[in-house]
Amino acid sequence: MEVNGQLALTVLMGLFLVAVAAWLARVENWRSYTPVAGGGAFGQKDSYGSEEKPSGVIRWLTTVDHKDIGILYGAYGLIAFAVGGLMVVVMRIELIDPGMSLISNTFYNSLLTSHGITMLFLFGTPIIAAFSNYLVPLLIGADDMAFPRINAIAFWLLPPAALLIWAGFFPLPDVIPAQTAWTMYTPLSTGAGAGNQANAGVDLMLLGLHLSGVSATMGAINFIATIFTERGDDVSWANLDIFSWTILTQSGLILFAFPLLGSAIVMLLFDRNFGTAFFSGEGGAILWQHLFWFFGHPEVYILVLPPMGIVSYVIPRFSGRRLFGFKFVVYSTLAIGVLSFGVWAHHMFATGMDPRLRASFMAVSLAIAIPSAVKTFNWITTMWNGRVRLTTPMLFSVGFVSNFIIGGVTGVFLASIPVDLVLHDTYYVVGHFHYVVMGAIAFAGFSGLYYWFPLYTGRMYQKTLGKAHFWLSMIGTNITFFAMILLGYGGMPRRYATFLPQFATLHQLATVGALLLLVGQIIFVWNFVQSWLEGPEIEDGDPWNLRQSGLYTAEWDWFDQKQQTAIADGGDPDDETALTDGGHVDEPADDRSDA
Amino acid sequence: MANKIFDRDTLLDLTVNVVPLFIIAFFVVAFAVLSPFGIDPLASSIQFGLLAVPFVLLAILTYFAGRAVAGSEQSGEVYLPGQAGVRGAKPLEEDHGPAAIDPESTDDAPEVEGDGEDDADGDAEDDADGDAEDDADGDAEDDADTKDA
Repeated sequence: MEVNGQLALTVLMGLFLVAVAAWLARVENWRSYTPVAGGGAFGQKDSYGSEEKPSGVIRWLTTVDHKDIGILYGAYGLIAFAVGGLMVVVMRIELIDPGMSLISNTFYNSLLTSHGITMLFLFGTPIIAAFSNYLVPLLIGADDMAFPRINAIAFWLLPPAALLIWAGFFPLPDVIPAQTAWTMYTPLSTGAGAGNQANAGVDLMLLGLHLSGVSATMGAINFIATIFTERGDDVSWANLDIFSWTILTQSGLILFAFPLLGSAIVMLLFDRNFGTAFFSGEGGAILWQHLFWFFGHPEVYILVLPPMGIVSYVIPRFSGRRLFGFKFVVYSTLAIGVLSFGVWAHHMFATGMDPRLRASFMAVSLAIAIPSAVKTFNWITTMWNGRVRLTTPMLFSVGFVSNFIIGGVTGVFLASIPVDLVLHDTYYVVGHFHYVVMGAIAFAGFSGLYYWFPLYTGRMYQKTLGKAHFWLSMIGTNITFFAMILLGYGGMPRRYATFLPQFATLHQLATVGALLLLVGQIIFVWNFVQSWLEGPEIEDGDPWNLRQSGLYTAEWDWFDQKQQTAIADGGDPDDETALTDGGHVDEPADDRSDA
Repeated sequence: MANKIFDRDTLLDLTVNVVPLFIIAFFVVAFAVLSPFGIDPLASSIQFGLLAVPFVLLAILTYFAGRAVAGSEQSGEVYLPGQAGVRGAKPLEEDHGPAAIDPESTDDAPEVEGDGEDDADGDAEDDADGDAEDDADGDAEDDADTKDA
């Protein structure tokens, strides 16, 4: 009876939503918003673009400028990084002691779940979108993204997604955080059994995850359309920069992977709320794993390809030479994109699946190591005999290569079925993928944040603090995650809030590394905020002296034009009205040069 | 047309994707010959399908990507990646990508100077970099910090 009532409510809500959609479609002639030409929001090749932006908070709430949206993504990603990071600090402190001491085991499980989801979906994907939104249109000579408003919508779906994912931590009556781990394995996540995972907190988390997937898909469609259709006249496929190539490939992966996750999540929600049995019946657990990992493994490459693009972009600038084997890197990026869909069940070797299928997944998993290794050799060879400048972005890029080698090689071992059966579900796996996600992906993010800091702030960061940030991060990463690899060799299972006393020393070592990471990130925040507000202003459009080595690129040229026409520096309120909408600012902008 | 696009240099560039294709092909043959777990109509079909599908898709994507890149190299001017939009950028002299792939080429310097460096890659780099980078190292950051202090 009550179920029928709920169903009726759901149907009513559906009808209401349809009515809202119909009303929205009629109330305004949306086609009138179609740009007059070129797909840009305001056709900013003319000079009137700058007048279109309101000031203050309204600017940020209403902006469709790709650069503003990039900054919004960046701020969002960094806030999520702080949240996810603080969650894991609490977990690592709990793990100093073998028993349950600081927090309860269930709260540990909650933090573990939210840490994973936050870092992957609320930090990883958005921080990449920050770079791609800001830079891709500049790099390819586009006025803006192909669909500026979809771009804005894609971003604004993310804050509610975060609130839903974290809803269990808020003081809501009867709502507890999800404790399913980020993999949401069934039957636990269906709410079956005597546990507490039938709670609405899990539903809210699933809805938030779904929303973040919708956001990523909208962004991906936008990037594909932008890179295919909005490139400047001279930017042919042969001239496309490596970062845009990786974003294009990543967008393709998102397009095929995230809708599948969305479908699986909807099925799971139906299982939880409407009495279906997609995943609770016989074979349901394996079905979930197949669906989840068919999304989940490409997700790894969704997260790592653009950072590889950043590193491929930064390393040559500070090595004084071009990227070695540029086209090798491009083609291997595409190869990774395709092969990433053929390896998903290497996460499932221990499930007892047919050994013939297992062997095929092993084969493709070994094959996909080749393109990644090719890139690594290209980065090393680019630096080889180059005039290396160890600036902060370069240090983070070199750190990326170093950590990626350890993360990658430990992964190759896991691709081998017999090794995997020993190490599966141990801390070895945790150490392996954290070398990649923290040691590589986050490092590339920092590399990009420092490298383009002058571009998006008009100021320079503090060098000493930047290097302190790097070294603390590098040492912290290696202490933490190498200890985890050793823990895994010792047989320490992952996801546990408590452990046997024999693992105490290595766990304590990992915690020390995590605290070093925390100190490093506090320094980063200080440096980032203070330098943005008070750092020395950049006078020149070439802060890294790239012209001398012939490695000057389009985004700095855009920045140079901005400097020459004395447009804003991105910080002062006086200048905000003069910020432009991307693309070129031509002569009329000079009118404001003295303002 | 196809042969014109897929010349020696382009094929050399594409070898990077031929290696994983070869690995997959190797396992197809190995599983066909050895099949330690026996042949079962359903399981074996899926087993070989899991190898064949990525193989075919990768081969197709490699073909089209190579055609797009090499084709646009031949039909338009080639700049250093990321430089096409720079005001006053000069196109590269050679049609094909980084010389680092081909040890006989001399175009490793950031821009082709045409100054007749006949050395192998490493030496060419030294020459090119020596001039360009001496004064550049970290100055931007140094200056910035000084000012900040």
